[in-house]
Formats: sequence, C-alpha cells, structure tokens
Amino acid sequence: MPEAAPRPRTEGSSEPLEVEGTVREALPNALFRVELQAGRSASVTAHVAGESSLLRLRPGDAVVVEIAPYDAGRGRIVRRR
Amino acid sequence: MARACRIVVDTLDALEAAAEPGVTTKEMDRIAREQIEKAGARPAFLGYRGYPATLCISVNEEVVHGIPGPRKLRDGDIVGLDLGCIVEGFFGDAARTVAVGQASPEAKRLMTATRESLFAGIDACRPGKRVGDIGHAVQTRAEGYGYSVVREFVGHGIGTSLHEEPQVPNYGPPGRRERLVPGMCLAIEPMVNVGQPEVEVLADGWTAVTRDRSLSAHFELSVAVTPFGPWILSEPYPYEQAEVANA
Repeated sequence: MPEAAPRPRTEGSSEPLEVEGTVREALPNALFRVELQAGRSASVTAHVAGESSLLRLRPGDAVVVEIAPYDAGRGRIVRRR
Repeated sequence: MARACRIVVDTLDALEAAAEPGVTTKEMDRIAREQIEKAGARPAFLGYRGYPATLCISVNEEVVHGIPGPRKLRDGDIVGLDLGCIVEGFFGDAARTVAVGQASPEAKRLMTATRESLFAGIDACRPGKRVGDIGHAVQTRAEGYGYSVVREFVGHGIGTSLHEEPQVPNYGPPGRRERLVPGMCLAIEPMVNVGQPEVEVLADGWTAVTRDRSLSAHFELSVAVTPFGPWILSEPYPYEQAEVANA
C-alpha cells in the first residue's frame, strides 16, 4: 500500500493569483499603491513588471496585479486593463 | 518479514487465479482475508488509518487504494491487487496488476512496463546507492515506454509498521536522498499511468484515479538491502554462503 506523499511543488501550486485593481498612489522606486477590486478595502504595494509603459501609471489607472502567494500585501502589476 | 511477504505473494497468486469476469471486488477481498488468516497472519490494511478492507483493488483508471465493493470485474479490465499482512509483528506488503480475461495490447504493454520499472528499482537496492537512485531507475524505465509515474504516492520503509522511513518516490534525480545500508527493508511500488501523472482521490477518501482517466498499473515488492544486493523478501535468500565468506 503506497504512502501518500507530501504534495510535490508543481508550477500550478505556486502560481500567483491575478486580480484586478486600480492605482491609488504612485510611490517612490516605481512602486504603486493599488486598491483591489475584490474586497474593497484590500490594497497592495506593487512594483511593475518589465514593460516601460507601466512605469507611467497614474492614480486612477486600471491594472491587473499578480499577488505573491507568500505575501498577500505585495504584488506585481502585469498589465493595464 | 520474509514469511509475511511470502504469504502476501501466495495470496496474490490465488487472487490472480480468481480474477475472472463476473467476480465482485468484494468477493476478491473475502478470498484475500480467508487466505491470509488461513496462513496464520493478520490483514495489515484492515483498519489502517480507517481503511475498511483487507485488499486494495484498483480497476483500470483507478491507481491505488480502491475499496472492494459490489463492482463486477469485466473481461478486459486490468486490476491492481495490493495486499499486506502481519506475522508476529512484522509486515509484508506487495502488489501486482493482473488482466481479467483478455487485456488490450496497450494494457499488456503498460503492465510489462510497470513490472520492469519495479525490477529496475529493485536492482538499485544496493549498499552505497541512495534512495533517489531507486526512483530514478523506476522513472527512467517507465518513461522510456512513454508512460508517466505517479508522484502523489510513494514507496516506503517497512518493518514493524506498514509505513516506515524513508519514503521511496518513483521519480527524481539519482544520487539524492538517504544512503542505502544493509538491513534496510523497503517496499518499492511504481504506479504508472498511460497518460498524465496526475491523480485525484475520489469522494470515498481512498480511491485514487488518474485525473485524465487513463489506464494505470501498480506493482510492488518488499525488498531487503543485503551486503550483496537486493533480497526480494517473498523469495528465498538468493546469495550463496560462499559469497558471505568472501565478503
């Protein structure tokens, strides 16, 4: 009878969560405070992913943010929406 | 432990002979229990973590831990039979997949691949090798056939409990994990799928099936690491006294 193994790390299990939000505030170092749509009150500090067009984000812009599985307070802006 | 393993394998022989179209899985479980008790042993799975039967019987896309019930075996099914018993406090554990009636060529090829994978793993059970070498040997052989090995369930140490350290995965890089030393006893048990490696557990909390519902086979033997190489515990001790003298 085989023993149940601890679930191996697969790409699926550590995949970041993508959520939609709105930029509220531009912070130094290309960080932004983003208010998430899901659950009004939630907001994350997010840095931008690659693309330079994202660096010109301004408060009010609608974006998609990836939330890190290990720190729900931080994220990564992956694109505008 | 060799006695326990012998009883398990003898019982599997009887079950293989009994696996005919129309027989229910419950009936197979009854045969298993009678044989084990007649041999003076106790079922090892019954009551283990709440498991309700003597035998695990896993048909076709079921990978392992199928619970016996009213299901009738049909011609062309392949059936995983996994069985354990206890003799004087020591555990024996073995499994094999058998065909009911006439199996398809694909099913036969899968069973051959899985059995070969098991023996490739057993061959790696030598002092100085590592647990990772076993998994690597199994995975290499199974994937050489174009099949995949299940990750969510693993082989295990065996002795005075059914599951002991170390865990023995059927995959992974060679040269890793615990070093093998004489005296270690391991249950090596590749579970091989025709399709993708992922499995899911059904609502009964036990039965594991392939997520893509492809066919799956399972072979298992309990093996001791000796100074001379592997000893399949259900077989007579394979090494000559002369070898002992030369060691």
